[in-house]
Amino acid sequence: MKRLLPFIIILVVLAVALGSAWYLTRPIQSNATPPPGQLSAATPGATLAPQPVVNQGIPGAEPAYTLGPPTAPVHIEEFGDFECPPCGIFHPILKQMEEEFGDKLHITFREFPLVPTHQHALAAASAAEAAGLQGKFWPMHDLIYDRQNAWKEQFDVRPIFEGYAKEIGIDVERYKRDVGSDLVAQRIFQDGKRAHSMGVKGTPTVFMNGREVPFESLPADKFRVVIQQELQSAAKK
Amino acid sequence: MKKIYITAALLSLFGLADALYLTIEHVTGQSVRCTIISGCSEVLSSRYAVVAGFPLAAIGAAAYFSVFSLATLAIFGYRAAGTLLTPLVTAMFFVSLWLIYLQAFVIREFCQYCLFSAAITVCLMLVVVIGRFVLKPASV
Repeated sequence: MKRLLPFIIILVVLAVALGSAWYLTRPIQSNATPPPGQLSAATPGATLAPQPVVNQGIPGAEPAYTLGPPTAPVHIEEFGDFECPPCGIFHPILKQMEEEFGDKLHITFREFPLVPTHQHALAAASAAEAAGLQGKFWPMHDLIYDRQNAWKEQFDVRPIFEGYAKEIGIDVERYKRDVGSDLVAQRIFQDGKRAHSMGVKGTPTVFMNGREVPFESLPADKFRVVIQQELQSAAKK
Repeated sequence: MKKIYITAALLSLFGLADALYLTIEHVTGQSVRCTIISGCSEVLSSRYAVVAGFPLAAIGAAAYFSVFSLATLAIFGYRAAGTLLTPLVTAMFFVSLWLIYLQAFVIREFCQYCLFSAAITVCLMLVVVIGRFVLKPASV
């Protein structure tokens, strides 16, 4: 028995390690409504059941910057950081979905700059919000994401963002005043408070009709399916 | 000598837990998300995080499990296992040095979980060196 003991110990540790890995990566199966993109394994291929809004959170900055009609059946709320590479990857995916699904989507962007992880994230958020005060949030949002690689490694991003402001045709002098204003800071802070109230820990975090979309469902092919399921679910209501 | 092997086995368990966590983060895609913990997403989503299609963290977990297995066998008197422990831990030590270099000078971001793993490997190296050169057994 003593000769077998080390092998038993090794097998127990292996079983615990593999069991833990399996437990933590398994699809969640419960009677509760699954989150968007997470189908119940018990019903393969099933559409999502009607789902209540489960995470309202406290209000973010108002008015929020949105795309699409408020009456759209699918509300997507993204908490993003302009300097975060995965957010930069998700940006064209969301644009693509907006084009594909049109007025069936209502998209909201919330600021969640990861300070101090990303040194220019707050400056980028401020730039977008300052452009927003002149009605050009989305053009600035798109430009900052599209050119993420051009500015994120730079020492001073202010002149770069001022160049973007000029490019999208807003009053650059007013932009310079607004970018450091209390109003802009307050909007970012309020979005951050909403993020914390909803348990957001990283970016991009996406909520669909109030429920968090698993991060692994954000690639275009999976995200499209999630939206389609949500639309089917909304149509049944 | 038993204490050396017991220490190595316990250290490798901490390393195994850390590497398993990183592997799960990698497999579920969470490691790619940006978080308030500086550097981890940059490090874990870099091209160095995958070797020949395998997550580096999974290879690390296998290495720590091997150390645990060898140390456990050595505790129970399997001398060959003790002998194999030295080259394995030495290889892990140099790989850890390489990974720290990558974090510091190539990726220019540090991931605390990777640093914890490196610290465990350094401790394992120290334990092996003490066992081999200070206590001077027949083989460690």
